[in-house]
Amino acid sequence: MSTPPPTLSTEAPEDGLERLARRAVAPTGWLLLACAIVWGLLVVQAPEDAVQGIVQKILYVHPPCAFAAYLGFFLTALGGAVYLARRDPAWDRFAISAAEVGVLFCALLLATGPIWGKGTWGRWWTWDLRLTLSLLLFLVYVAYLLLRSFTEGDERTARFAAVYGIAGLAVIPLNYFAIDLAGGRALHPENLGGDSLGEGMGWPFLAGVVTCLVAFGHLFARRLEVAGLRDRRAREAAEAAAAAGEPAWDT
Amino acid sequence: MWAVLWKDLLIEWRSRDRVLAMGVFALLVVVIFHFAAPAGPAAGGEATREHLPGLLWVAYVFAAILGLNRAFALELENEALSGLALAPGERGWIYLGKAAASLVLLVAVQALAALAFALAFDLDLVPVLLPFSGIALLGALGLASIGTLFSAVAVRTSYREVMLPLLLLPLLVPVLLGAVRATHGLLAEGTVPADALRLLAVTDAVFLIVSFLGFEYVLDE
Repeated sequence: MSTPPPTLSTEAPEDGLERLARRAVAPTGWLLLACAIVWGLLVVQAPEDAVQGIVQKILYVHPPCAFAAYLGFFLTALGGAVYLARRDPAWDRFAISAAEVGVLFCALLLATGPIWGKGTWGRWWTWDLRLTLSLLLFLVYVAYLLLRSFTEGDERTARFAAVYGIAGLAVIPLNYFAIDLAGGRALHPENLGGDSLGEGMGWPFLAGVVTCLVAFGHLFARRLEVAGLRDRRAREAAEAAAAAGEPAWDT
Repeated sequence: MWAVLWKDLLIEWRSRDRVLAMGVFALLVVVIFHFAAPAGPAAGGEATREHLPGLLWVAYVFAAILGLNRAFALELENEALSGLALAPGERGWIYLGKAAASLVLLVAVQALAALAFALAFDLDLVPVLLPFSGIALLGALGLASIGTLFSAVAVRTSYREVMLPLLLLPLLVPVLLGAVRATHGLLAEGTVPADALRLLAVTDAVFLIVSFLGFEYVLDE
């Protein structure tokens, strides 16, 4: 018989955020499944664009990914700010979870954009205002993740990351004006208005936004749950080591 | 703040290693650019002249990162950083002292690099010396302000020399764009575009405020 997998005792208490995340995982998962089915059906039956053809259907994926990415980066700065004010590690886990899921959606954004660009503009990338800004946003938060992995000590990592996350968010409007000033020609399509979508394209787009946001919520809840479990596991290991008289290693 | 500024400048004056390293590095960048440029402006390459402000600012940013990497390295010896953190009073003032010291060094290196650029690429900077210095100072303020904050962060990570440019470069885009636009306008048309100056000033102000407030959380308790 192999040894049973290590189980978590219930001694280390769950905090409020972790409990909320754990309870949200299953409902958001089912909701995501339902949304994805509806979205898939709507996208398949949506009319093909007269000019752009099939590649226009990226619209149902690309802008929703942008919304999810922005949400992630906003939550990262929010979690960092609350952490600095309260010094509660739960809010640091909130920030890292939001950053990781945000980077994932930003990567999807940067991957789907060029597919459309190649089909419509004839090239994968242009140094357009919004493209440049999205790339910078991605780089700022990849640097955020690198900073976390290269810093030792939980408390210090949390502080450094919080400061960087907040500074990163503060620089986004500056970057916007800077690139605008540099004459980044607006090649990227305008923001969607009330009537800029063709007949039959509104519902699939809405379904795309809802599905992406639900997917964000689900992944975020899962990541938050994992972060909470890891943290408790580390604390219990440290306590067990201390009880056994061994030196407790900072994990 | 003045004590920290004075201490940093005094140490630098006694050893002169940081400013020397930054200066030599900036000169090397000029030489490399000269060979990397498609056709030297001495040979009448208009395209290179168009890119000179950008090249100049790339040299400044690289030299600044080199210098900022050392800004807090000295404080790590003998736990001097903990001593600074324990000093009574607002930590923001320590930050301002460190940033001011970096700014002074950076301005010195900028002057040297500008001279080298002028000689190497046949630029006449004398008639535009005053506005050029103003732009360089505003740009240097932006580099030193946010750079000092993240220098204090990067120095306590592993791979610290790699970490600082990774953290800093995406944040420096507004400074770089504003400074390059302003320099370009000055050298090409003789006037400084007001919107570029405004961008530089606003960016400097935002960076100073964010760094002044953020430094509180960057030093260890």
